[in-house]
Amino acid sequence: MTGTEPILRAEGVEKSFHRGVPPRRRRIEVLKGAGLEVRRGELVGLVGENGSGKSTLMKIVVGLLERDAGAVERDGKLGYCPQTPLLWEKLTVDEHFELFARAYELEGDAAASASGSLLGELRFDRYRGYRIEELSGGTRQKLNLALALMHSPDLLLLDEPYSGFDWETYLRFWEMSERRRGEGMGILIVSHFLSERERLDRIYELRDGRCEEA
Amino acid sequence: MSAITLSGADFLREHLRARLTLVLLVAIPALFVVASASVLGEFATALGGSVAGDSASALGAGWAAAFLAGALGFFQVSSSREADRRLALAGMGAARVAVARICASVALGVLISAVAFLTLLLSAGASHPAHTFVAILIFALTYIGIGTLVGSFISGALEGSLTVAFIFLIDAFSGPGMSDSSSIAQVMPTRVAADVLIDAGAGIGSPIGDWIAVGLIAFGALALAAAAFWFSARPRST
Repeated sequence: MTGTEPILRAEGVEKSFHRGVPPRRRRIEVLKGAGLEVRRGELVGLVGENGSGKSTLMKIVVGLLERDAGAVERDGKLGYCPQTPLLWEKLTVDEHFELFARAYELEGDAAASASGSLLGELRFDRYRGYRIEELSGGTRQKLNLALALMHSPDLLLLDEPYSGFDWETYLRFWEMSERRRGEGMGILIVSHFLSERERLDRIYELRDGRCEEA
Repeated sequence: MSAITLSGADFLREHLRARLTLVLLVAIPALFVVASASVLGEFATALGGSVAGDSASALGAGWAAAFLAGALGFFQVSSSREADRRLALAGMGAARVAVARICASVALGVLISAVAFLTLLLSAGASHPAHTFVAILIFALTYIGIGTLVGSFISGALEGSLTVAFIFLIDAFSGPGMSDSSSIAQVMPTRVAADVLIDAGAGIGSPIGDWIAVGLIAFGALALAAAAFWFSARPRST
């Protein structure tokens, strides 16, 4: 079900950061014209070494970080799973689903059905009344992923979404991703590894601030 | 209820579920009002001020509310910045996240002020209860603005809480009744609220000009807090 029109297109993205205080203040160029495309029904990988700028590019594409130059075009509903779970420590799993259901403008039954289905699919429904501070790292990561998926986005952006998953959950994650790709969702996954190459339709490697299709 | 009100209730719940917050909510007013009222008078004498007795107790309640509100305002921004930004991106938008945060902050301010007021009422009484409560609330709202402003520039918990405490100490020890009208006191944000609170503690009403001034200061502090929450929830450049 791969479409021809890109659901995400980034071109010539540039980003640099200023670090330190004078006289040691330095400008660090991270992205120097990076670009990529994701189409509907496509599972695309973005790989690169530590510090290559993968998360920076992802944050720019998502809209969390402003770019210095370049263009980003997105189409449809966006789902974003950050590298580190961004959650509220004292709220429960169910309260997180409710908070995000309001942000996604999901009504009562649709919200309950979406959260119930994801809790079952990722097998953490017994934790729905637990506060985040009471959860293991892996369960937090499951919630982090579930919150990105609960409104059935057209484009899913995942920044190393399986860190902390056990092997069984890791395999389930790929099953979920492949099923959603089959339903027409465009998915971009940031990873350190090229070991998942056979699961991906295309791979971009970020090197020297630019993306090259591997 | 609207999405903003419900989200504000979630943010409020998050703070009230912290056991230490609940302990401090009771302990700090008790320390400032009950234990420190006489010490506050001695400090004031040493610094050239004249506050004492019931006015010192009333001022202690205001400072307790300010201290707690400043710390909670700071942590509202600094501890949830990234999660709030994610929620805004998910469709809530930075403006609605900021309004929900302001709702939670005002509710926290009212709660903090009520506890400080109740502590004062039980320990020393209040000649002008309505004036006293409103003045304590102004202290709390003013420091919510200061705490959130600090939180929007400083993310480290230690650095941020020390900065809030530093502003608090300068404000407290240079304020009316505590020193001999130093020039710095004239620009501190709680100066008029302290005047109102000292008068209420002594059983004296305050002039209408003072009430207008504290109303404007509280409004300004909340506007500042709303801007700080909005700034924290929107995309960043670094």
